[in-house]
Order: sequence, then structure tokens, then C-alpha cells
Amino acid sequence: MHSYVRPNQFVALRLPSEFTKIQKIEPDSTVFLGKFGSFPANQIIGRPFYLTFEILDDADEKDGSCLRIIPAAELHAETLIAEGEGDGEELDTNEDGTPMRTNREIVDDASTQKLTWEEIEALKKESGGAGREIISKLLESHQTLDQKTSFSLAKYMLRKRRKYMKRFTVLPLDVSILTNHMMEDQGAARIMELRDEMVGLLGCWGNVHHGGDASLDEAIAAKPNGRYLVVDDTGGLVVAAMAERMGILYPHDGDEYEEQGSSDEPKKNEAEQAHDDEQPPTESSTHRPARPAHMSASGNSITVLHPNKQPNLSLLKYFGYSQDNPDETHPLHKHLKTISWLQLLDPNADPIYSEEPEIIPESELYTMKSNKRGAYYRKRNRWTRVQSVVNEARAGEFDGLIVATVMDPSSVLKYAVPLLAGSAHVAVYSPSIEPLTELSDLYSTAKKTAFINRRQQLREQKLQQSSDQPDANETELQDSDLSELMAEFYLDPTLLLAPTLQNSRVRPWQVLPGRTHPLMSMRGGAEGYIFHAVRVIPTQQTIQAAGNLSRKKRKVVTQETPTTAVDSGSGVDVEMKS
Amino acid sequence: MHSPFLTPGSRSQLDNLALLQLRRDQTIPTILQLHDEKNGGYKEGKVTNTRFGSFPHITLCDQPWGSQIIASKVDTGSRGRTQKMKRKADELDSSTQAEDKPSPQTPVAASSGFLHLLYPTPELWTASLPHRTQVVYTPDYSYILHRLRARPGSTVIEAGAGSGSFTHASVRAVFNGYPSDDQPTKKRRLGKVCSFEFHAQRAEKVRVEVNQHGLDGLVEVTHRDVYEDGFLLGDPKTGKSPKANAIFLDLPAPWLALKHLVRNPPEGTESPLDPTSPVYICTFSPCLEQVQRTISTLRQLGWLGISMVEVNNRRIEVKRERVGLDLGNIRGTVVFPKSVDEAVERTRALEERAQLFRATQNQSDGDSTPAPKAENEAKGGQQESEVPVYKQGRVMTRSELDLKNHTSYLVFAILPREWTEEDEKRCREKWPSNRVQEPQGPQKSKKQLKRESREKRDLQRKEQSQPETESQKE
Ligand SMILES: C[S@@+](CC[C@H](N)C(=O)[O-])C[C@H]1O[C@@H](n2cnc3c(N)ncnc32)[C@H](O)[C@@H]1O
Repeated sequence: MHSYVRPNQFVALRLPSEFTKIQKIEPDSTVFLGKFGSFPANQIIGRPFYLTFEILDDADEKDGSCLRIIPAAELHAETLIAEGEGDGEELDTNEDGTPMRTNREIVDDASTQKLTWEEIEALKKESGGAGREIISKLLESHQTLDQKTSFSLAKYMLRKRRKYMKRFTVLPLDVSILTNHMMEDQGAARIMELRDEMVGLLGCWGNVHHGGDASLDEAIAAKPNGRYLVVDDTGGLVVAAMAERMGILYPHDGDEYEEQGSSDEPKKNEAEQAHDDEQPPTESSTHRPARPAHMSASGNSITVLHPNKQPNLSLLKYFGYSQDNPDETHPLHKHLKTISWLQLLDPNADPIYSEEPEIIPESELYTMKSNKRGAYYRKRNRWTRVQSVVNEARAGEFDGLIVATVMDPSSVLKYAVPLLAGSAHVAVYSPSIEPLTELSDLYSTAKKTAFINRRQQLREQKLQQSSDQPDANETELQDSDLSELMAEFYLDPTLLLAPTLQNSRVRPWQVLPGRTHPLMSMRGGAEGYIFHAVRVIPTQQTIQAAGNLSRKKRKVVTQETPTTAVDSGSGVDVEMKS
Repeated sequence: MHSPFLTPGSRSQLDNLALLQLRRDQTIPTILQLHDEKNGGYKEGKVTNTRFGSFPHITLCDQPWGSQIIASKVDTGSRGRTQKMKRKADELDSSTQAEDKPSPQTPVAASSGFLHLLYPTPELWTASLPHRTQVVYTPDYSYILHRLRARPGSTVIEAGAGSGSFTHASVRAVFNGYPSDDQPTKKRRLGKVCSFEFHAQRAEKVRVEVNQHGLDGLVEVTHRDVYEDGFLLGDPKTGKSPKANAIFLDLPAPWLALKHLVRNPPEGTESPLDPTSPVYICTFSPCLEQVQRTISTLRQLGWLGISMVEVNNRRIEVKRERVGLDLGNIRGTVVFPKSVDEAVERTRALEERAQLFRATQNQSDGDSTPAPKAENEAKGGQQESEVPVYKQGRVMTRSELDLKNHTSYLVFAILPREWTEEDEKRCREKWPSNRVQEPQGPQKSKKQLKRESREKRDLQRKEQSQPETESQKE
């Protein structure tokens, strides 16, 4: 829960220009906001989020405070005044020319009251600084100017004033705010132009959520839940978004429910944090209670598949986690696993995986210098970790696959879909549609049907060839047959059900008294698309287990084929005879 | 207790909800049961009948999720058949069962079809749930929950529950473990959804679903008029506060409920809001008038960051469009030249044949056998194409036909934590400003200074490039 600004946390500061600035709030430092001024970080530490501060010209003599919290009423002053005035009294008409209910009616309703002069007076008392000036000017001029003009003048001044006002709002740096920040800045390309609405959609269609507490629930312990495969070329934004949904993104996520005041202290100093990633737990446990090992979570975990030796997840730094120097107390330390495509597909080609460091007996270890011993433990631990992460990934049974990649997504699905458990969801984001239409085509109904037929053909050939020894692996296809299938179809189209493509766009509106309309300008750039499908277990695999039913079942599959061929390309799932 | 929505395990389980997917957008939710209390008739026990055949539940239980399941031969009997006539066949989830058969008979596979056995997710549930009201669909709720910061451990207030679509999506978002009877020593806060509905039957139906879906303790349904009686759990005046972090109002007049969603309710009752966190709200209204009233009330009650958006979602169909003269005579093929070259070639061929025909006619002046033959050849090029059907033509996209352009307007706002003078005073003592090192202090490296001035420049540049709009993002 983001309840207050913690020391050494990253926050987003929204400036009067509507731009956000990301800032680490270090105790005893000064925060610079360019022409808007500067202020001591200590003056926002411990304060609630979403407050708007004004930087005062003169600091308080007593405690040096130079920030003033702007009350909500003052922030809304302009609009509240406008509403009180009954501004926007224009007769709107529907398309067919009939008069529509006007804003006036709404303002006059008993549930929403006009701002009375008494209220403005109260407002005036409450607010200080610029807002107060405006309101008093407004009241002064009321005598001389007619009401309408005075209001317009006040509004004009407020607006003008706001532009140069030294205000900022402190926002918690979460995935949504980081996404918007990256989009408005030069960062859009870095995050593949992944808009906020796409982040939400991706997580939902991927069915990404907390996997439950395995230690408390036996039903869960039987099969670890919430294991997700992620391919992320957005520098860690997708990983962060999924981690947020799973409750493992924020340093305090795993903590007990806490009240303000208990943990205002900096968690620990930086020097202490700067320990080696590979440091053996034995050593760290001398000054800290034993922490769960790196990447050791059995459930509620993210496994990142990355193309290079190291993944690029640099945006995680904003959430207090760095790949090179992971904080052991951060939930990602245990729950985020990384593995390269090489390690996944050909683990023995990676020496870190395949070459086990020789075990040195305890007795010998005692005689070693401590740095040598440290190096030994580091190597051993790294090998054990890579072994377990790679083996676990290769064993599959993942609960979902989330992809945002600049590589060809079909190559990702080709290798990752077989690693999913049945009924697991696949969600792929792409800034443009073409890679996803190709993907949809690879899983088209026509492809499925042709694939099943071709495989059946190969099987029957096999059966004839080995008719002298019946029943021996009758339906097992050899690697050579499979590679023939793959050459033709690239991937197994029968593993995904109901592929769907969609696009979503949020359109912001301006809602002001009398001036309500969609915002005129929206960002151009990538449209953004999401591919979704469900991993299924085609019946061929269950046939063998079902014994004497198998022949009949296989007949069904062959029977359905002609129907499907006719109805090819319609975008629906495999058609069945009814 | 566990929910197939949250922790489905690896296999389907008796007495749990499972989704039977016939084809895309055609999913039947059903509780897996060997016997059906309602009526008898089938030797196989409880059976779900679809247009792709009958599926005795005995073939659906304890199967790996995602399995493709083959239909079974079931003696539908006269009762089954008449029922089938009455209702749409593929939505029929009724069953008939033998009165005194102790265990269901092993079914025999039928060749009528198959389905896929899926565990439920909010997305699939939303698409297949029994509609009692308008519901919030995935494109909207995915964005709403993301902006409401509904995360593991959060508490969500929802009103009205309606058909429970949003309920299921939000419980997934906040789930971080099941409540257990023996309170664990840890004080970790468990995510929860507090759902309010003033329509008695709807409230009851959602309550039953929550129970059937293993969500007891995670979702609490209250039958209540929230305009009148607010959001406390139990007694409207003296009940427990849900301590909500996020609120979703899908009501005709959300502004009437807002007076209860304040930090210090006037009548001295407890606030339903979490005092230690900011509170995020979203209201969902189809008309602009409702939006304006809501926003106006939000402003008066001191909500901040008010914004309003609309979500436009469209599904896109992908298919191959085949145009050409050389493609086989397959359904969906447009028999038309695929290019100028093909057109010219074909016309030329026809022309040559015609000349040939005239020549032969002139010569023999007799009966005309070649003409029809030539016709045939020209029309055709009909020999089977080399390219398999699934690779023919060009992959094309278009928006799906049932395009829903406007669902509702979404209003968002935030209410920060309360912050009193005393709080501020305490904070000032704890984090005194005078401890701050002077910005120009000697400890600053050159690099740091450079960075700072660069940042300053950046900010100024941005500020200048900012157009003079009056956008009202507060
Ligand atoms: C559009 S439906 C909500 C649909 C729901 N969000 C979903 O996704 O399924 C609105 C519901 O609000 C209920 N409702 C209307 N006024 C109410 C009130 N004052 N208190 C509680 N519920 C109310 C209605 O009975 C109706 O079921």
C-alpha cells in the first residue's frame, strides 16, 4: 500500500506543466524542479501521496519549511466558482435537434449545490497564497464589474497564474505512472509504446494474479500456482506490471500490514546493500536472518526468458530492484527468475549450467583463505541456482505466458507454448498488428486441420512400416517426422485454442462546467494490439491413456476433417460436425 | 476451501465450476457433478448436452485442465429429448438421471464432437455468465482495476454487484491468499471484495455464486441500498468498516452514494475507507449528465486527480482472402483475376481460342466440336493449385462485426490520506529541513552538478514545448 513517501523511494513529481519527473527521495537532500524551484526532500518524506505542494518564496523562520500543502478546495477553486456561476449555460441539442438536458439543470439540482458567497468566503479563509489572492480580487471587483465579467476575469487570472505557479504533486511511482511517464517522454520506443490500457489488458488476458500462499494452503502446495513465463523487451516494464499484479513488485509488498511511523527509517544503508549477488547465504546470515535463496520461489513466480546472456530489466530499479545488485529483502529476489533462450533450448551449451564446480570437502575449505572460500561458494551457488531454474523451466507446466517482444512472436510461441499447463493463457502485445496477424494465421483453423491430417498420414505410414511388430509405439512420431511437420507448419497449431486479436484505446475527456468534450489531441504512434489464446491438450495425447476407446476417438478426428477443410479460414475454432 | 478461479490446480474437480468450451465465444459454465439432484433419466449421471453432443460429467471430472473431451453416446430418452426441444440445445445444461442407480454408467464415446475443458477465469466467466444486468466487460474492467490500483492485499468496495462480472475480476486482482480459521500470527492483510446490491434476488444469486466458486471469505455480499445506508459491513450505522482502498460504483446515480465515502462521515459513523492509504474511485456511467453530476460532487467532497475517459475496444478478425483464377473451387474464394497480369493473360487466352475457333469454323464450316472445349479450358485453369489452401491468398484483418463503440464513461478520482496539522508537525520534527545539506555543498561531484543542470534544461525545454492547452487533468 502506498500510504506515505518512504525515504530512498522513487516518486513521481507532477509539475504545473503536467509533466512528471521521477525522483529518488533521499533524506537530507534537495530536490530541484528547474524553473519551478527546489525544496528539501525531508519536507515530503513521511507525507501522504497525492498531496499538492506550493513552493513558498520565503521559508518558515522557525523550522525552515518552504512547502505549503494546497487544500483540495483551493485546487478546485476555479471550477467550483464556475459551477456556482452557472457558467456553461448553453443549450445543447441532440443530433436530431431536440434540446438536451443542459448543464444548468445539473448544477441546480439539490444534490449539487451552487457555491454560495458564504462558501467562497470560507474558501478564502481556508486557502492561502495565490488562490486567496484570486478570490479576494474576485470579491473586490464584484462591486464594480457585473458578475459575469468578474468571474471570467478571476478565471483568466487563475489560469494564467497556475501556469507559473510553483506547484507540484507527489505521486507514488507505480506501474501506471511509470508507463505514462515513459509514454510522454522520449521513452515511448523503449517500452514498445505500451500504453497503460494495454498493460491492464495484457495482465487480465494473461490471467496473471497472485498464486496464493503455498505455505498456508495444502491444496496449493500440491501444485505450485502462479508460475508465469514472461518475454519482455520493454526494459522491465512488463515484468514490473506482472509483478505488481502478483504482489511481488514493491519492497514492502511482502511485509506485514504496517502503520505509519513504524518504518519511516531508511531500510538499511546503501553500503550494506552493496553486497555481491553471488554471496553465499552462510556469510550473509552472520549479520542478517537467513533470507530465502535467490530465485528460489516455487510458486507466484516470474520466469523471464531473454535473448542475451543477461536480461535487460533496468526499469525495475525504480521499484528498488537491480539485477546486478539485487536486494535480498526485495520480493523479486526470490520470485523473479531469469533464463536465456540458449539455456532453455540447449542448456548443455551453457557452461554455467553444464559444468558443475567441483565439490571441495569441508575439511579442505577450512584451510582456505576467506576470499577463496567465498569464491567457491559463489560458484557452487550459482551452479545450483542455474540448474534448478533451468530444469524447472524445461519441466514446464507454467500457468501463463506474457509476451512483449521485438523478436518474431511466433518464434517465442513455438518454444514457449509447449511449456504451458493445459488451460493456461497466452497474451502477446505488439505495437503493430502485422506480427500478430501472422501469428493468428499460424494458428488458423485451416492450419490446424491440415496439421492433424498430415500427422495422421505420417502415423499411418509409420504403422504400415512397422506392421510386423504391432502396437509398438504405434502413434509415437519420431523426431524426423516431427521436424517434417515443423518444416511445413513452423509450430504445432493444435496447442492453442481460440486465438483472438484485439485493440484498445482510452480516450480522455475534459469535463468542465459547460465545456465537456473529448480532448482534442491524442498521442499518435503505435496503435497497440493484443493476441490471446488458451493452451489446450489435444485429444491425441489422451487417446493412449483411454485404452479401448482410442480407435473410436481417432475416427472422430478423421471424420471431422472434411468439414473443417471446407470451412477454412473463417477464424473460428476447429469446426465440429453437429 | 479453494477456488478454481484462483488456484485451479492441475485437474478438474468434482463440485467445482468448470467451463466447457465448444468454440470461441461459446462456453458453458457448469458445476461438475456425478449426479444431478434436479431430475433423473440418464444412466450416465449428470450430463451436459450441447450441439456437439452429450458430455456425461463422469468424463469431465478429474481430467487435466485444457483437455479435449470427446462426446459420449447417451440415451437421451424421451424426457431428455423434450427438454432439448424447449431450450436452445447448446445452452442446455440440464440433466436427467436414473432414480435408483447408485453409480453412473461408463459412457461410450460418440462421434458427434468434442469440447475443451477449461478452468474458469474472470474473462471466460464474463463472456459466459448468466446475464441478469448489464455487465462490465474485460476491456473496461482491466483498465479500471489497473487504475484503481486494486492489487494483492487491497480491499475493494463494489456497488452494485449486478451479475457479478466485475466481482470476479476484482477478487482475482486483490487475492493474496485464503483466509484461514486459525488466524496466522502474521498480520499480513488479505485482499477482499465487499460487494453491495439492493436487488434481493441479484444479491442472493451473487452470494450463491461466490459460495459455489470457492470465494467465501474473499467476497462479502451485502444486500443494501447504498444511497441510503452506505458501505459499512453488517449494521449500516454501527457495522465494521471495510477499510477500502478502491471503490467501483456501477450505479445509476453514483453521486448519491458519494456522501458515505468520506473520511469523516457527518453522523459520526465510521468511515468505510482505509485511513492509512489513498483511496481510488471509479464510477461507470453511460450518460454525460451522470458524469457531470458525479464529477461535480467529487470536487465538492475534495477528491483529487479527477479524470474521465472512455475505452474503445475492438476485436479484429484475421483471415485469408483468396482472389484468383488459379485457386481451387473452394468456398470463400473469389474467382476473379488476382492481378492485371492474370487478367490480361486470361483475356489473351480467350481471344486466341476464339480466333482458333473462327479459323476452324471458316475452314470446315461444319459442326463445331472445338468451341465448347476451348471454352472449358479457358474458364478453368481449374487444375488444383500447388499451394495448400491454408497458405493461399493474403492474410487480412478487419474489425469484427458486433462492434461495441461505446460502453460507458469512466470517471476516476483519488482521495489522499487525511493529513492533520499535528501529523505535519510530527513529520517536521522527525524530518527536519535544517538537516539538509546545502545544494551547493562541496560534497557534490562535478558529474552530479552537470546532471542536475541538464535536468533543469530538460524541464525548461519541455515546459516551453508544452502547448497552451487548458487540459483539465487535475
Ligand atoms: C449495471 S448493474 C452492475 C453490473 C456489475 N458491475 C457487473 O459487472 O456485473 C447495476 C446494479 O446496481 C444495483 N443498484 C442500483 N442502485 C443501487 C443502490 N442504491 N444500492 C445498491 N445497488 C444498487 C442494481 O440492482 C444493479 O444490479
